[in-house]
Amino acid sequence: MGRIFAAIMGTASDKTAPRGWLAMVLRDEHFWIPLVVLLGGLLVLHWIA
Amino acid sequence: MASAGIQVVSQSRRRSLQIVGLLSGFAAGAWLGGAEAPTKLVAVGVSPLVISLAMVSGVFLARWTLPALIHGTSYVRADVRQTPHLLIWAVLAGCIWSVANTLTIFAIRDIGLSIAFPLWNSNSLLGILWGFLLFNELRQAGLRRWLGVVGGALVMFAGAVLLAMASSTQAPTGNAMRGVAAALGAGVLWGTMYIPYRKAYLTGMNPLSFVTFFTVGELGMMITLALVYTGGPGPLWQQLMITRTVLFWLLLGGFIWVVGDIFQQYAAKYIGISRGIPLSNTNQLWGLAWGVLVFGELHLGGGSVYIQVIGGSLLMAAGACAIAFSSASDREHVRWQQAAERESVRYGIDLEYVRARMYGEQGGGRKYGRTWVDWLLAGVATVIIVGFGTMAEVPQLSWHHGWAATLLAAMLVLLIGSGWALWRVTRFT
Repeated sequence: MGRIFAAIMGTASDKTAPRGWLAMVLRDEHFWIPLVVLLGGLLVLHWIA
Repeated sequence: MASAGIQVVSQSRRRSLQIVGLLSGFAAGAWLGGAEAPTKLVAVGVSPLVISLAMVSGVFLARWTLPALIHGTSYVRADVRQTPHLLIWAVLAGCIWSVANTLTIFAIRDIGLSIAFPLWNSNSLLGILWGFLLFNELRQAGLRRWLGVVGGALVMFAGAVLLAMASSTQAPTGNAMRGVAAALGAGVLWGTMYIPYRKAYLTGMNPLSFVTFFTVGELGMMITLALVYTGGPGPLWQQLMITRTVLFWLLLGGFIWVVGDIFQQYAAKYIGISRGIPLSNTNQLWGLAWGVLVFGELHLGGGSVYIQVIGGSLLMAAGACAIAFSSASDREHVRWQQAAERESVRYGIDLEYVRARMYGEQGGGRKYGRTWVDWLLAGVATVIIVGFGTMAEVPQLSWHHGWAATLLAAMLVLLIGSGWALWRVTRFT
């Protein structure tokens, strides 16, 4: 699974290619906190508006 | 004391950066609060989403113009090449800001400002939590600094509650549960938005580069929300046309807001989010000063209102002082460096570059000048603002010129003082 992911998204060492740094961001566990909070915020907005 | 990767710089350098960060936090409060002044010239009846969209448009213009004038777009481009992954973080943070800002509009509608404001103002407390959990802020800081920062933030929170109660003039008319959810949601969103901020600055990105891409997410999300909640392009365009005579004031408000926001970004960079964000939250005090002193908003209020204003202001000032006197210790700095090294390893960034940027140095040494692109950006922004200025109407509103001049002078003193200190110590790095 990890190899397939790396093949699609690029490797962490390939930082100049967009695929490479996108892969690094997606592997960063910190990234998912604001992303989940943003999606939650959109859901709250959809509910109240 | 030193961590293995990043060498510790001298104590005097760290002290200079702390002072620059503190000055930036106070300047941020003044300019973020001052941004409310032009919006007070906008008559009631304009859709809040249109107000928000117009302000964000002014913000977008300023976020592209000011970095171009200060450093040049070639500098921003080179900065982004060093840390391209931060583009995603910046756009994400911009999207979060727009959703939070829109939620506050619904919160005020449903539960009123006095309840909504303290709920979303909890964002600075959440910022402290994220700073501690993810970026080693306040680690090994000692009890005195913990009390100074967390206690100061709590005292400021109490002051904010009093000021919000005094500022509240509208009775809530909507659904209370939804209003509370909206206000809490805005607080959580803004508090979490500081994760991308700190991530960017620990990794070495210049705040001016970060805001250039932050605003892409900000404007993109705001346009999307405005289209969705006003009913599509036709109704949105109609509302913009109806309000075209006040759009200039909103653009101007957005432009002033960006000056404050840039200082907030530098505060987050040099003193961390746990100290920088509560300090810039003194904007509420400045917003209230403009409302009370210049526009006479509490003129008809009773004695209890004035007690709330004075008490809330004193509490906010006391909390800000407590935070200002709780600068990071040597041991805490080492923990910050460890967090920066972790980012350097995770994203494959040169450790020397991260170290240099963390301590306000250029890193790399190459100088970048301004090009015709920068002057073009400044020219286009000027034409747009002047264009809206020619359409603008000055509302018939009584205001106190003397107090306006005094507050403006205070803002300019903070701008020049903090800007000069930032330039001297960091060259706006």
